[in-house]
Amino acid sequence: MRERLLLVADFNVETLARYLANTAMPGADVQAAPFGQVYQTLSSPGPGAEWSALIWTQPDATIDTFRRAANFEPVDAERALDEVRAFAESLKRFARNTRSLFVPTWTMPWWSRGYGMLEFRRDVGLAHLLSRMNLALADAVAEEPAIFVLDAQRWLAAAGPRAVTLKPWYAAKTPFSSAVFEQAAGDLSAAFNALGGRARRLIILDLDEVLWGGIVGEVGWEGITLGGHDYAGEAFADFQRSLKALTRRGIQLAIASKNDEAVALEVFDRHPEMVLKREDFVCWRINWADKAQNVAELLRQVNLGAESAVFIDDSPIERARVTTAVPGVVAPEWPDDPTRYREVLSALPLFDTPELTDEDRGRSRMYAVDRTRQETREAAGDLDTWLQSLNITVIVEELTSADLPRATQLLNKTNQLNMATRRLAPHELEQWASLPQNLFGDSGLTGIVGLTFAPDHARLTDFLLSCRVMGRNVEETMLHAAVRHCRARSVASLVAEFMPTARNAPCLEFLERSGLQRTTAHQFRWNAAEPYHVPRWVSVDDRTNTSSPAER
Amino acid sequence: MDRERALTLIYGAIDAVNQQLPAARRLAKDPATVIVGPGGALDSLGIVTFALALEEQSTDALGRSVTLFKPQWFGDESSPFQSVDRLATFLSTLEHS
Repeated sequence: MRERLLLVADFNVETLARYLANTAMPGADVQAAPFGQVYQTLSSPGPGAEWSALIWTQPDATIDTFRRAANFEPVDAERALDEVRAFAESLKRFARNTRSLFVPTWTMPWWSRGYGMLEFRRDVGLAHLLSRMNLALADAVAEEPAIFVLDAQRWLAAAGPRAVTLKPWYAAKTPFSSAVFEQAAGDLSAAFNALGGRARRLIILDLDEVLWGGIVGEVGWEGITLGGHDYAGEAFADFQRSLKALTRRGIQLAIASKNDEAVALEVFDRHPEMVLKREDFVCWRINWADKAQNVAELLRQVNLGAESAVFIDDSPIERARVTTAVPGVVAPEWPDDPTRYREVLSALPLFDTPELTDEDRGRSRMYAVDRTRQETREAAGDLDTWLQSLNITVIVEELTSADLPRATQLLNKTNQLNMATRRLAPHELEQWASLPQNLFGDSGLTGIVGLTFAPDHARLTDFLLSCRVMGRNVEETMLHAAVRHCRARSVASLVAEFMPTARNAPCLEFLERSGLQRTTAHQFRWNAAEPYHVPRWVSVDDRTNTSSPAER
Repeated sequence: MDRERALTLIYGAIDAVNQQLPAARRLAKDPATVIVGPGGALDSLGIVTFALALEEQSTDALGRSVTLFKPQWFGDESSPFQSVDRLATFLSTLEHS
């Protein structure tokens, strides 16, 4: 789907529009609303559900009390906050007819010293008032899942001392330098990637000179540089802490390293300053094989596409090899200096998510369990023995508002086993969802089946399953649940229309082997007079009000 | 500043402005490239962006404040901003602090 973004500002925002359309988000439809027409635009019905919008204002132009405060008039801060809340209401109204709404925080230039040493004194300082205004704005829209308040102060800091100068304002009615717009465009691009399910979810790491200094195969675990009273050692340990922190946001870690596995793993087991432990990694390939081959195997093992992965390696040759052989993997330019590792990792605009759920925070643990399951499979040998050993129970429940954050996340992040790849904001899903069914379990909410009923047939509107549980007969169980609902409503057939994308071929492969009758290249049908049987090794706990019993 | 250094600064400013242009309209890093006047690819906002970027880079390079943003130059085909070549010649006359 082509991204559409309307820019609304009380300054000339054309530079940002050009940067977005030509560099940060090529191919996007970016339009700038008439300059200085913020309130007029916000009073309009909104650009439509296919459009996102950016509302970027300056505090003295939007909040009259702040304008007076900036002129050093005495003001009532509460009045400024009331104006902020009124502005937030207009944003909320406008957001009802937009896909997503982005609102940069209000900022002041570094050269505006205001009251100097009193800048953070309550009821005096402009910086104090502006901070309260930004927090009031964020709080006022906190319950609006489609509104995202973006941290513009970070853009100014990254752009340096020339971020805000008056010359471009006088010359072109734009208060910010191109460097600020470049930062803003980067964050907007990251946000669209997150909303479109294109955020990265896996970091594949080299070991020597990445997680520690030195070559462990030569110096042994005792000889590597890590922690201690050494500037490089501290930097490596800090970098590991940053990686570990990312796992708490649902980012997974893996290893691709040219080493002897036993020697490398000894570092994890024996080095006292290792922050990352074996259990922090979902999988690894530590051998002397081609790294690109290892990366491809890791991706297969965790059921993720190359577009989900970031590859970190100190060798530009290995980075080039992997990005060439496994297109879609991002391998950021990596500094030689380990003291910069943490900075570079933290600045990567690749991991944004529109929601953060408890499942994200626990995903590392779930993947660790999956690794154990996979090892069990390898030990078990044949597929049936492995599936039997998993003792899978699929719980089928109707969607509730409590599930919306995770369900929306699943809709927007799942790529491979996703039949229609519909991307919906929470409010859009809430509006649409009369009958999608959820699948929960130890693995959390992992799949969504959406059904639309016509008099004689039901259409499978959504059919998607997290890559974490693909290949464990959960897909077939979801079809079973869908057919069961069809039979309960006495409709004649279930129709599935596959919508191809660059990444959902695994879904087509599943439909082809599912037993559904293929009626056209992308359409499949099941005669609902017949039950779709539950796979042999799966138990179903159907908590919906379907009268038909589970059919084996 | 020597001419080579001047061209490097101009090409840096071209990089900055090219990020805001469609691929087909991007400026070539070539002395013959026209910046202001007939045959130029930049509109008024593009010229402002280019001039401010070059002004910043020249200020950093020379270690003193340099003012290149002079609106009267942007409508004048005889101004230093007419082409990359003419601009490089002009910058070459600027002295370090």
